[in-house]
Amino acid sequence: MEKFAKLITDVDLLWSTYSSVYLKGIRNTLILAIVATLIGCIIGLVCGILNTIPYSRQDSVVKRIVLRLTRIIVRIYVEVFRGTPMVLQAVFIYFGLPYFTDAQLRFRGNSGMWIASILVVSINTGAYMAESVRGGIMSIDPGQTEGAKAIGMTHLQTMLYVILPQAIRNIIPQIGNNLIINIKDTSVMFVIGFIDFFAQHRNIIGVNNMSFQSATIEMIGYLTLTLAFSFILRAVEKRLDGSDSYELVNVDPLVMAAGTYSHPDRGNIFDEHSREYKGMEGD
Amino acid sequence: MNEPILKINHLSKAFGSNVVLRDIDFTVNKGDVISIIGASGSGKSTLLRCINLLETPTSGQIIYNDRDVASGKINAPEYRSHVGMVFQSFNLFNNMTVLENCMVGQTKVLKKDREAAKEAAMYFLQKVGMAPYINAKPRQLSGGQKQRVAIARALAMNPEILLFDEPTSALDPEMVGEVLNVMQALAQEGMTMLVVTHEMAFARDVSNRVVYMKEGIIREQGTPQQIFENPQRQETREFLARFRNK
Repeated sequence: MEKFAKLITDVDLLWSTYSSVYLKGIRNTLILAIVATLIGCIIGLVCGILNTIPYSRQDSVVKRIVLRLTRIIVRIYVEVFRGTPMVLQAVFIYFGLPYFTDAQLRFRGNSGMWIASILVVSINTGAYMAESVRGGIMSIDPGQTEGAKAIGMTHLQTMLYVILPQAIRNIIPQIGNNLIINIKDTSVMFVIGFIDFFAQHRNIIGVNNMSFQSATIEMIGYLTLTLAFSFILRAVEKRLDGSDSYELVNVDPLVMAAGTYSHPDRGNIFDEHSREYKGMEGD
Repeated sequence: MNEPILKINHLSKAFGSNVVLRDIDFTVNKGDVISIIGASGSGKSTLLRCINLLETPTSGQIIYNDRDVASGKINAPEYRSHVGMVFQSFNLFNNMTVLENCMVGQTKVLKKDREAAKEAAMYFLQKVGMAPYINAKPRQLSGGQKQRVAIARALAMNPEILLFDEPTSALDPEMVGEVLNVMQALAQEGMTMLVVTHEMAFARDVSNRVVYMKEGIIREQGTPQQIFENPQRQETREFLARFRNK
């Protein structure tokens, strides 16, 4: 029991001394995780959409070759960035750029480090999201596409107004997964000097001997962050699903309902709305 | 009455080596209500799906407004916007309310402004008796209600011809009537309709032409009287007898 009491005093001491340092780490972690997840989602969305453009034998050779090539490129991107550790990707890109440009281009200073970190985490998230989006699109009932096609929508319109809104709703849990993974895994960006929440822990325990106490703060901090986002994302999902009930709208009770409308004196239903059917009466 | 809207010449469709439609010839005139009957797997639905290019015909022509839409050289979405389709499984957009379902095609495809689109949508929703439900999502409706909304959605596009692909086959028996009533009302008002159906009473009472298909071939066609009362072919008689015995 007294151990716990001691832990609480120690944590309290650490926090009162270094709270601004921890908070700065939390801020950096959050900015990197949120921005990179957003960019990653956009990358994933673009890849997923490119990957699901249908083509058939009737299409022109050029269209088929272009679509095939895009699919291959997206596939290579996904496999490479899903298949290698993010910490290695960070090193690879951070030191690769100056290597190939003879140091003409490199990630300089604080802003360079931010750009490199956001870039790496975004690309990495994008690789995962590309597959989630593809899965999300494929999971939508083909009947939705047929319904959209049947009223004359193009592939792009079908995607924008019918498929993607439903697919995105279905992949929100995946987006949440990625955000939470990113909150934790951005800590590997220390290899290129990024100061996140965990990096602050390393800095703080470098000057005292309170590893466990600081780790306790880190545990509580990370858990609070991830729980908060789980909660927010659930709320977003609920919001998107809309209400389970709906309001009936009062309409003119004298309006003819289904199957009761064939009174000849009332004229043709298409009178007001169509040129095509005017004059069909009396046929 | 005999102004042709759609002329189908020598239409064939094969999925790989499986030939589903063989050398189909027929003409749809303005105001026609044609019922296509036949056993499952006889190619009825495929024929309908070929007509609005959800399936690409293997060979043959579909002449609409002097253009062959089966040639692959036409703007398929534009053509489809003139040919309404009502599906067995409704295919309402799950992410939209009833009203939005009936508006989205008008605003995005026909480029109508929202006010006009809403007015037309309300008009046709009232017509099918679904106006009180404009704020509901498809998942909150019964099958019959969904199908009536789907009909309103198709009508709101102001199509020249409406295709029905077994519109009542996925419905509970007590909901079949409400959908058939709507279709009958449309037929009486001069809508050109092509209906794949197992509802023989509907085919007999509402349509002016009945087409019997078997194994991808039109075996017999004629007026409902000819087909139901005096079928010429043995296989038509057998098919109808099986239905009567059910």
